[in-house]
Amino acid sequence: MTRLWKDFIRGLWDENPTFRLLIGLCPTLAVTTSAINGMSMGLATAFVLICSSALISLIKNLIPDKVRIPAFIIVIATFVTIVDLFMNAYLPELHQVLGLFIPLIVVNCIVLGRAEAYASKNSVIASAFDGLGMGLGFTWALTLIGAIREILGAGSILGFRILPEGTTTIGVMTLPPGAFITVGILIALMNMIGNRNKTT
Amino acid sequence: MVVVLSVIAMISAGILAQVYSVTSVIIEENQARALESSVFEVLTGTTQVNIIRRSADELGVDDPKEMREKEQKTSLIYQGLNDAGQIIGFAFVGEANGYGGAVRVLVGVDETSKEILNVKVLEHTETPGLGSKIEDASFRDQFVGKTVEDPLKLGQDIDLIAGATVSCRAVAEAVRKGFDDATAIYGGGN
Repeated sequence: MTRLWKDFIRGLWDENPTFRLLIGLCPTLAVTTSAINGMSMGLATAFVLICSSALISLIKNLIPDKVRIPAFIIVIATFVTIVDLFMNAYLPELHQVLGLFIPLIVVNCIVLGRAEAYASKNSVIASAFDGLGMGLGFTWALTLIGAIREILGAGSILGFRILPEGTTTIGVMTLPPGAFITVGILIALMNMIGNRNKTT
Repeated sequence: MVVVLSVIAMISAGILAQVYSVTSVIIEENQARALESSVFEVLTGTTQVNIIRRSADELGVDDPKEMREKEQKTSLIYQGLNDAGQIIGFAFVGEANGYGGAVRVLVGVDETSKEILNVKVLEHTETPGLGSKIEDASFRDQFVGKTVEDPLKLGQDIDLIAGATVSCRAVAEAVRKGFDDATAIYGGGN
């Protein structure tokens, strides 16, 4: 049981995909123009992560080693397409918000990376917990980045305007350079906190 | 090796075909419903909507599926009537390419004065905080009161939003194209 808990907690902090492992940065930088975009992308990715990790772990013994990457990609792309279609049908407003970002989950390194590094070598339950931890770790990272960029770049949070109308916002924050700057500073902060814990 | 890959691909394709056939129906319904409810917004006072369709000859297509696809995009005119059965006006969909993709707008036009009553941005994928400002009332209100005779061009009678030139131009183009098309059908026909 403690082993499963370790699998889960790992993705949240110590091996946070965005701030520690530094993978899946493309969608991270592109999608986090607002808090809700970041959070929704994170949750959708988490769902795909859990499902694909579990399924890949289930069929890992049936896939010959040479074709494992194409096989993983088919599984991942299938889940992403299912998520996309279901969201479009049953959650149209949310689907409108995320729109073109959902298909991007297929090329998210985290999903393929965890499948290759973990799911193909561990049990189904462990893989599912690993997917859950990584997915939630990704989600909080994206939500935080999105919130920062939204407040500084558009003066709002979750769509609610919090800076008074007419306040000069830092426009570059909603553009790619702002994304790089935000992520870079956050990684530095994470490292600072991590180092302080080590020395005490 | 090839066998395993083929089997996985076939199972995946089968599952996706099933999911698609179930969801595509719902998705189309959602889109049609969303569009019709938007008509109530741009033609205030409307309680009933008539849809004016163009015939297959006018659209220049033979295939009914192709016709439905083309209709879905822009060719339908929505006529709004109030409780008393009087025609308030008509609404049309305009589409143009913006910065991040297609921008679709719904424009409501008054029946008697043929002036624009309201413009609603139906969908866009413009940059949040910049291009997304085309949704602001202050930008859209510029179109209110315009007729098909007005230029409806950036820099002439429409002011742009700083940092969102392409997005604003897309809205102006969408309104312009849609207005021309709609007047051609509605002015002549009904």
